[in-house]
Amino acid sequence: MVDLTPEQLKEKYDPQPLQVVESERQMVGAKFSPCGKSMVSGGYDGLLHRWDLTQEKIVTQEPITGHHGWLQGCDFHPSQPRVFSGDSWGRLACHDYLQPAPEPVWAVETAHDGWLRDLAVSPDGSLVASCGRDQQVRLWTTADGQKIHQWSNHQHDVYRVGFHPDGQYLVSADAHGMIRKWDVKTGEAAGEFNAGELFSVVRLQDVGGVHAMTFSPDGTLLLAGGTRPKNGGNVQGTPLVLVFDWKTMKQIQALEMGPTSDVYVQDLQFHPGGFLMVATSGNPGAGKLHFQRLEDEKPFYTSSGFSNCHAISVHADGERLAITMTSKGSNGNGRPLDKDGNYLGNSSPIHLLGRPQEEEENS
Amino acid sequence: MQHPLCEPREHHLSRRQLLGCAGTAFTAGLGMGALGGLVQPLVARELQQKQRQVLFIWIDGGMSQLESWDPKPSTQFGGPFRSIQTSLPGTHVSELMPKTSQLMHLLAVDRGVHTQDNSHSAGVPRIQRGDPKDRGVTYPYFGSAVSRLIGPGQSGLPAYVWVKPGSGGFQYKDSGFLGPKYGALAIGEGQAPENLLLPDSISASADDTRNALRRAANARYVKQRRPQVNEAHEYVFDTARSLMRQRHLFKDPDPRDVARYGETPLGRDMLLGRQMLEAGVTFVKVNSYGWDTHGDNFNGHASLMPRFDQAFSAVVEDLQERGMLDHVLVIAMSEFGRTPRINGHVGRDHWPEAWSIAMTGRGIRKGTVIGKTNDLGTFVDSEEHDIGDFFHTWFHALGIDSKKVGYDNDGQPLPIAHDDCEPIRELLVS
Repeated sequence: MVDLTPEQLKEKYDPQPLQVVESERQMVGAKFSPCGKSMVSGGYDGLLHRWDLTQEKIVTQEPITGHHGWLQGCDFHPSQPRVFSGDSWGRLACHDYLQPAPEPVWAVETAHDGWLRDLAVSPDGSLVASCGRDQQVRLWTTADGQKIHQWSNHQHDVYRVGFHPDGQYLVSADAHGMIRKWDVKTGEAAGEFNAGELFSVVRLQDVGGVHAMTFSPDGTLLLAGGTRPKNGGNVQGTPLVLVFDWKTMKQIQALEMGPTSDVYVQDLQFHPGGFLMVATSGNPGAGKLHFQRLEDEKPFYTSSGFSNCHAISVHADGERLAITMTSKGSNGNGRPLDKDGNYLGNSSPIHLLGRPQEEEENS
Repeated sequence: MQHPLCEPREHHLSRRQLLGCAGTAFTAGLGMGALGGLVQPLVARELQQKQRQVLFIWIDGGMSQLESWDPKPSTQFGGPFRSIQTSLPGTHVSELMPKTSQLMHLLAVDRGVHTQDNSHSAGVPRIQRGDPKDRGVTYPYFGSAVSRLIGPGQSGLPAYVWVKPGSGGFQYKDSGFLGPKYGALAIGEGQAPENLLLPDSISASADDTRNALRRAANARYVKQRRPQVNEAHEYVFDTARSLMRQRHLFKDPDPRDVARYGETPLGRDMLLGRQMLEAGVTFVKVNSYGWDTHGDNFNGHASLMPRFDQAFSAVVEDLQERGMLDHVLVIAMSEFGRTPRINGHVGRDHWPEAWSIAMTGRGIRKGTVIGKTNDLGTFVDSEEHDIGDFFHTWFHALGIDSKKVGYDNDGQPLPIAHDDCEPIRELLVS
């Protein structure tokens, strides 16, 4: 990939629209299952929405119920048909997502006191980590939901949690930009990464925090995304990715991903092609999908026409992407009503994107 | 109920009579000017003798009703947060206000607020003026109105103090047609006004001499100008002198109080507001900025609300413990609520259609929740109450019959609240 020019990269990976999966409600972010047969998304309606990808057309399935509030935490077992979901009332559950009407394999009703913000399954599939507004990081067995460890060192909401690719370490990132590293086996603190540039107190409000986090595939880098806050309230700021060296825990790079109106880096994923994919979402209608090599100064691809990109998922085939957005024209101080006088909510179209056709690739 | 000031029929009083009344009242300490005068000075004096104060907590930008007083958990627009039981059986509020939830038996909340403006530029002044009928005059903000109707009391302190982040100074614009002297003395960042203290190099007798010279110069100056100009100058000067005698208000507060109110700008200002009330200020406005959460509303409220909760619950508890809720009317509100709809920036926009106002204290029926929104929280599903209704309610709570008392704007009779609105009886003790 390093031999390709940005123009060649864009030609090779320029995402092509395949389909838009419409939804009536707002979603947190669609994810493809590791087996590639399903796509799920937590919703603002407390449901885990599901789509069957094995048919000629995408089929909407019965959602998984039992949650409340927002269903924000979601991750898959790497090899078994298990999906783990956590909601903003603190419930953590495990389901077989391939079943027509899944019942919980297990559930912990009060895994956290309130908003469970993120989940991550360990690379070997044995553990699931959770974090939340109660400032706690907890570790559970994926087989039966037994809590095996808890860390209480954060002093603020914990927004993100993730396993290092080697499975030996867990990292958790909070609302003030503190990222803590934990030894999974011993439970001991193993260091800190300072992403404080992603946080500011503006008047009475805490603004920012780590909204997205990922590792480079080889595990040598930790990347944290959010905003360099400019103000609170409406929240404006420069969408920012901070890159840390995993060994030294020092920041080695900062990528600015757009104007202050684009505000937050909401998701970060590495593409199988080796480059970074960044979803930004700011003012209604603002926000983009960017593709960028870390060694480049700017993205080789930036979307146009997308609205508020919140999440990225890469299909197991390495070819398809799912980008979760918010419906266009979503803002406004007025009272939008439909023709029957009903108050209108927003929705989250999920854009499925593919690679350019092979013949185009060879041409 | 005996009305405290004038009845509409009394507005036929001549300008000469008005000026005479004004002179009498001014002598009595009410500070009545030629414009914006009230008639019936004897009743006015009677009013002045009753201790009545207001703590007006202004949450600038728009607090979300769904993340505070009127949660709709696990509904389409309800957001991520849970609701929690309060000290008022059957009543829930957002989990973001755990301390306040335990004081709900002291509060009155109206969840059926429906106002007219969805912009800050129109909403802030319109709401704080009570949105009266347009009669071609600029009405006073609530603080200036109360300052005019009740007066400064015996404390020697200004009647209207605005405790706020940012800069301080004298804010005359709040007063509208009442004239600049009914404006607010703003205390910025909890700091005493600059140069409050007399320099050591100036003795008291030298200060008296200076003031005599100043008064003589003023007298010459005012002959060529409208009297209210000098009136305002004099008022500001007198206010500063009165504050010089109360400089203990700006000493470092008790660390235990700081811990209870919160080490935040709002905690600092709420504590200073309480101290101002204790010192006798009639109307204290405590201002918090930064609530216009068009973006990242839920993370925003996750930090904003607990800080409001801490400061608000602390001041209500303190006023209750000191027996001050008997004579201090407490109001917490914004210029509007926030949209049920969640926008692409995960924010909520402006929503005057259905929101909430909380209050307690003098004249208010405690442990009351009235008004109701529909299941999604989108619209009011009970009788709607506009800001004019609240102005009538609050004036009544302060013992001012807003249906009978009126302003006299240089001969133009003006109601003190919207003619077509009414006091909300369910919120009032009587």
